[in-house]
Amino acid sequence: MPEQLTAPGPRPAVLVYRHPGAPAVVLRQVCAGVEEEGVPTDVTEVPGPDDATALAHAAAGESRLGVGIGLDAAGAAAVHHGTLPEGTPVVTTPAQALSSDWRRVGRIAARVVKHLPLV
Amino acid sequence: MGAREGAPPEGLLVVGVDIGNSTTEACLAVVAPDGSITYLGTDLTRTTGVKGTPDNTEGALKAIRGALASAGRSAGQVETVLLNEATPVISGLAMETITETIITESTMIGHNPTTPGGGGLGVGTTRSIGELGEQQPGEPVVCVVPHGWDFDDVAATLNAAVAAGVDVVAAILAGDDAVLVTNRLARPIPVVDEVSAVEKVPLGMLAAVEVAAPGRTIRTLSNSYGLATVFDLDPVQTRQVSPVARALTGNRSAVVVRTPTGDVTDRRIPVGELVLHGAGKTLRVDVDAGAEAIMEVVGRAQPLDDARGEPGTHVGGMLAQVRDTMADVMDVAGQPDVPVSDIAIRDVLAVDTFVPAEVRGGLAGEVALENAVALAAMVRTSRSRMQLVADLVSEGLGAAAGIGGVEGEMAVGGALTTPGVDRPIAVLDLGGGSTDAALLTREGECTAVHVAGAGELVTKLIDSELALGDREVAEGVKWFPLGKVESFFHLRHEDGTVEFVDQPLPPHVFARVVVLTPDGPAPVPTRHGLDHVRRVRREAKRRVFVVNALRALRQVAPGGNLRALEFVVLLGGSALDFEIPDMIADALAPHGIVCGTGNVLGTEGPRNAVASGLVRAHAALVAEEARCRSS
Repeated sequence: MPEQLTAPGPRPAVLVYRHPGAPAVVLRQVCAGVEEEGVPTDVTEVPGPDDATALAHAAAGESRLGVGIGLDAAGAAAVHHGTLPEGTPVVTTPAQALSSDWRRVGRIAARVVKHLPLV
Repeated sequence: MGAREGAPPEGLLVVGVDIGNSTTEACLAVVAPDGSITYLGTDLTRTTGVKGTPDNTEGALKAIRGALASAGRSAGQVETVLLNEATPVISGLAMETITETIITESTMIGHNPTTPGGGGLGVGTTRSIGELGEQQPGEPVVCVVPHGWDFDDVAATLNAAVAAGVDVVAAILAGDDAVLVTNRLARPIPVVDEVSAVEKVPLGMLAAVEVAAPGRTIRTLSNSYGLATVFDLDPVQTRQVSPVARALTGNRSAVVVRTPTGDVTDRRIPVGELVLHGAGKTLRVDVDAGAEAIMEVVGRAQPLDDARGEPGTHVGGMLAQVRDTMADVMDVAGQPDVPVSDIAIRDVLAVDTFVPAEVRGGLAGEVALENAVALAAMVRTSRSRMQLVADLVSEGLGAAAGIGGVEGEMAVGGALTTPGVDRPIAVLDLGGGSTDAALLTREGECTAVHVAGAGELVTKLIDSELALGDREVAEGVKWFPLGKVESFFHLRHEDGTVEFVDQPLPPHVFARVVVLTPDGPAPVPTRHGLDHVRRVRREAKRRVFVVNALRALRQVAPGGNLRALEFVVLLGGSALDFEIPDMIADALAPHGIVCGTGNVLGTEGPRNAVASGLVRAHAALVAEEARCRSS
């Protein structure tokens, strides 16, 4: 189930750009974090740069909500917003993180969309 | 004032120094033989040590040297340094909750997880998710899920149980998974999550779980008769659970578990009587009656000789605590300790407040608002060591130094240099511990009073009412206007104006209520909206400073009549506040009083009043001597 990529829907969504090598368990928890907040996600596999922040920045630029998540091959994650410079993502987590940290990445992305404090 | 262009003014160099609780101010001037004054410069620095102790010398010397440097003068030229005699009062604060909600058994979970799942009301018997397989079909079940369960597994287990005929009507989760689980259920049920102490939920008991739609609050479990209906309660039992209903009001989700011995008590602690001695009377007032009643009685016992609390009650404890603190402050090394019984409380300010306290026995960090009373009390002290500070300053500077006058009178003199004021003039010194008023009549008579309660009490009220638990954050809320960060690039100020910023705002302030400090926005750690924080801040200031301004001015006004006052000048640290001066001016306007923040020497704002008043008092003496010599 988590490997399944969703097609862009008619509604805007948080875009998740994952490197093809990104661990499935990270993607699953990140998407669960967004879903728990009631915000939709669209996941795209991007073979380009293996850098979470660059992927997140690119995703945020494409997202109609202006919010993107990047996952690199090692499992590092980043959240970006379309108005922010590439060098200053909203949040990042390193490759070696707990599942609660990945969940938090998704939650923060959703809370940027919902304009709620990023906790 | 007498100085010709270019020529240095003739006369003797004098420095007035005001050592306050937080700042030390200096005023440098030349006093001519006829008593006319030429002001040369001022300086301001942090007070070193506790006011009235030898530690103040360092700050005093720094301020004096700063003023000398700004005027290009040297310490050797100084004729005399004049220090203030400190206001002979010390203030103390105490706060005590007078109600307490205790759950003696685990009976309710009433909290607002940000994202509960599903909706509606489910009533059934609590069962652990691990036991769901053994459950017989038919009986309604509320499923309890401990920490460590994955949301897919929870949903699969619940779906399997429902498929097997088990009537699962609701779920209680430890983790933040409610939406994830409900999205995966074949049959929608209400789900409450983020119940941190889920292992304390009793199993095998009848429970009700309610989740309201987004933007709504629960209707059944917050209604006493709703609880009576759900749990089939008789009138006696309904009365017992009514505190539960009250505690759950306003929540989006709640759980109530009926345990045989469980009940919630809404206990009122005996607060006790405040006994006031003053004006030849002894008056008693029950602190339960609230701040307004207490202050009315305090007003009738003016001037107060002492206040005591009934021993063994809260108020007795509060006043004992204030007395103990003050005895410590007044103790001087090398002198016998001040006996606590000798400390007479000369003024009391009572303020109604509320304290968000965690409900004892709650399972999810539930918070109940408990009523509380805050008391500020003030004692007189005869032990001032300003003369010692003056001796040390004299030694350090190599010039004469002495006590130039008492604060209140000096402040009036300094305030008179504010453009547009005249006698009769009253000053209100809005300090940290006490609010002081002084009146100078047209005839030149000066009276001064001190009342308990000022900036420190405001900070304490803000801190406890917003449950900040951090004095520094509360100070920030008091001092700076609020804003709400609305995106990474714009924030809305409390007056509604929106400001765009060039640099992105940091993520830790995103969507937060912030205080706009000079160093940038700082988040206020609260779930309350901006309007609530603003209301708490303004109410705290009103209940302390507006109440005390009126109280202190009535005590100095002839016949207690505010209409007899003409000019009121606000001084002190809190006169620099962005709204307190306006609030006081609004309160005084109906009495035909001109009220505003002072502008000492036309340049210093509400600062430097005492320091420049010391110079004026000294100049008046010089002029007097000159008159005596000539006649």
